[in-house]
Amino acid sequence: MITNSALHGIRVIDLSTSVSAAWCVRMLADFGADVALFEDADGHPVRRLGPFDDTGNSVIAEYVLADRRSAILEFKSSDGISAVRAAVAGADVLVCSGTRAEMETFGLDFNSLLQLNPGIVICSITPHGSTGARSKHPGNDLTTAALSGWASINGLAGKPPLKPSGLQSSYCAGTIAYASIVSTLLARCNQNPFLGQLIDVSELEVMTSTFGPALLTSQYQREPQPRKTKVDMSTGPVPVKDGHFALTISRPHFWRDAMNVLGLDDLAKDPRWGTSWYRKEHADEYVDRAQEKLAQWNKMDLFDTLAALRVIAGPVLETDELSENVHLKERGFFRTPENSGPQHPGPAFQMSATPAHLNQGAPGPGDHTAEVLRDFAGLSQSVIDALLASGVAR
Amino acid sequence: MSGPLTGYRGIVLTQAWAGSYATQLLGMLGAEIIQVEFHGRPDSWRGSYDRPIPDTVADAPGAAADQHPWNVNPLYNSVNLNKQCITLDLTDPEGVDIFKRLVPLADFVAENFAPRVLSNLGIEYEALRQIKSDIIVCSLSAFGNNGPWRDVPGIGGTIEPISGMSSLLGYEDGPPLNSGQMYPDAAAGLNGFAGIVTALMHREMTGEGQYVDLSMQESSLAFIGDALLEERMTGNVRGRRGNRHMTFAPHGIYATADDKWLALAAETESQWMTLCGVAGGNGWLEEIRFSNNAARKANEDALDAEINAWVGGHKRDDLAERLSNAGVIAAPVLDAHEVADDETLRERGFIVEIDHPEAGTHPHSGIPVQFSGTPVMVSRHAPLQGQHTQEVLERLLGLEEDEYADLVNRRITGAGPS
Repeated sequence: MITNSALHGIRVIDLSTSVSAAWCVRMLADFGADVALFEDADGHPVRRLGPFDDTGNSVIAEYVLADRRSAILEFKSSDGISAVRAAVAGADVLVCSGTRAEMETFGLDFNSLLQLNPGIVICSITPHGSTGARSKHPGNDLTTAALSGWASINGLAGKPPLKPSGLQSSYCAGTIAYASIVSTLLARCNQNPFLGQLIDVSELEVMTSTFGPALLTSQYQREPQPRKTKVDMSTGPVPVKDGHFALTISRPHFWRDAMNVLGLDDLAKDPRWGTSWYRKEHADEYVDRAQEKLAQWNKMDLFDTLAALRVIAGPVLETDELSENVHLKERGFFRTPENSGPQHPGPAFQMSATPAHLNQGAPGPGDHTAEVLRDFAGLSQSVIDALLASGVAR
Repeated sequence: MSGPLTGYRGIVLTQAWAGSYATQLLGMLGAEIIQVEFHGRPDSWRGSYDRPIPDTVADAPGAAADQHPWNVNPLYNSVNLNKQCITLDLTDPEGVDIFKRLVPLADFVAENFAPRVLSNLGIEYEALRQIKSDIIVCSLSAFGNNGPWRDVPGIGGTIEPISGMSSLLGYEDGPPLNSGQMYPDAAAGLNGFAGIVTALMHREMTGEGQYVDLSMQESSLAFIGDALLEERMTGNVRGRRGNRHMTFAPHGIYATADDKWLALAAETESQWMTLCGVAGGNGWLEEIRFSNNAARKANEDALDAEINAWVGGHKRDDLAERLSNAGVIAAPVLDAHEVADDETLRERGFIVEIDHPEAGTHPHSGIPVQFSGTPVMVSRHAPLQGQHTQEVLERLLGLEEDEYADLVNRRITGAGPS
């Protein structure tokens, strides 16, 4: 048993059906919570998300469902719901992907769960939150990108707006949900008696929160921030010999040293170029010249040269390059689960006293049904056997 | 003040976006956040002292006649809500001494300088532990506090490419792109928030502080962790997909008749059939090439062409409403002003109007989470530079008025250029 964990002793019931809620639970588990995932007979929906490995395992499921035990229960059965409620009665935290109304349809209305366990923290993570006109609308990372404003500034003018890469709304919302749950557990430490509560996380609002700087800038400027008309070195990665490279200058000495490296001495010497607003106003006087010089470099050679001068710069790396990255290896960023399985990236931050643990990769559906029903729901072996025999549990 | 973190206090040296956003989230949940800014060297998100003030800011509703460029930067003002700001010259031993006298009164310290900076100032984690043994220190840096790239600086615009995010963002036939704002800062801010509350939880249980080392590169990598794992599990290096999904089709953003854009997706057969019903008469349901998700995915170019043609004949908001109400995943692509005006976000209390004494009244993104038992609220606009120095030093350190005046005279503290 791992004891140097911040959340040691916290018991979590995972009723997630989305990536965002599953990610929240993954973080709770990484930092020491004991997690029971209840899946229905079809299995957690993320198990059906591609890509898949040669044996048909979902990559996303392996990532977001790691570090927990899995039980299969028939949610439409009253015996199945009774077992879930029994587990909730002894838990500290419940995480779900349904709104208040949606959970009621399963017989898991939040008020009755709070009566059952007055100290429980219930966190609902949904596309649009549990209230409001959009609460009944389906949504995903694409529509969250659209409604939050992010799509309106990603990509190029004249082409379709772009959502952020991958599942950003899900990871952002899952992370805020995690931190909000821990914050509520902190409040519990300071209240006696502690009354449980509901946490309502809207993926849309989380992404709009991350859009805050663009939102307020657009207000101050009285026009919405547009998408870029083109990519040049002032806005993003540009071509170099073996790929792409971002030289996003901020402070004056970065400019001076970078221009010296590129052999553009006149630009390095003139102090007017040291301020970002001047460079923005006069971009056409330097961008083409600098990009021509950049194109003569290999990306890692240029990065190493600029890094030695402590100039901010970034080569575009792909996932295979990152897997072999010496810096990440030295920091121990990739971790093998203690029960073997593929190496996982992460965690997102390192803690000196309570490091994240990766005890196991994603369980198969129902790998731990009997022990979850025993350890979390407190059911006797005869009751568990009956549930298994009837097919309510598998 | 309310919120689950009421009673906790951070003395923070955060700046720009990542660190400031992390501590803003802590402040939004009720923690008292005292932001310490270098006197004479403004937070980079305040901009330079001689930055021109745009006319649109000077004329904003409620704006002060006497504006200072460093107080009216929307970047700074968007990520420093619910905070107090004091200034100290940390290059002066007396400024450092005042900072050290504040540390025993704090639960956590957060900062996002390059790793060598705190050591140079003599206020790195080990030094602060000597002052307060259970202090929590969270550092958000480009590449973390060890490893060969420890001292390499970075910002969101360079972390995005070097974390692999840019390699995944872009059109299928196009080059890698950075996001429209420096998204890795936001990802790091969320994770910094998570790291600090995790450390607070451990301290509550054990009385032990600790050091939280956040690398912006790693926090971004964690958010594309499935792409990294894909390479490990399958050998495939994921490329750019535009708006397409790894599994489902349709999944895209399409132009509408009113020169706007609509996001549309179907993740289930039920949603697909509903979409076909709303579209009516297009014959999609009868097409073998669209008969199930696998077929639609295999024929995604043809499917997108059909949907483009259909969506292009409709107005954005009308179609988004019809599809959403019918149960199809659909939404208008909103620009920043439309987001600020969004009725549902305002009804839920997320978009909030905030009065700022110099910049005027503007809508802001508010608190992205609701608590039934410990409600949270935006209670403070982003602070003016040094707005709270005197009040904080009097309240926490018992400084007398003449002592504060002396510090100002000797430029240990103050507002604006020193």
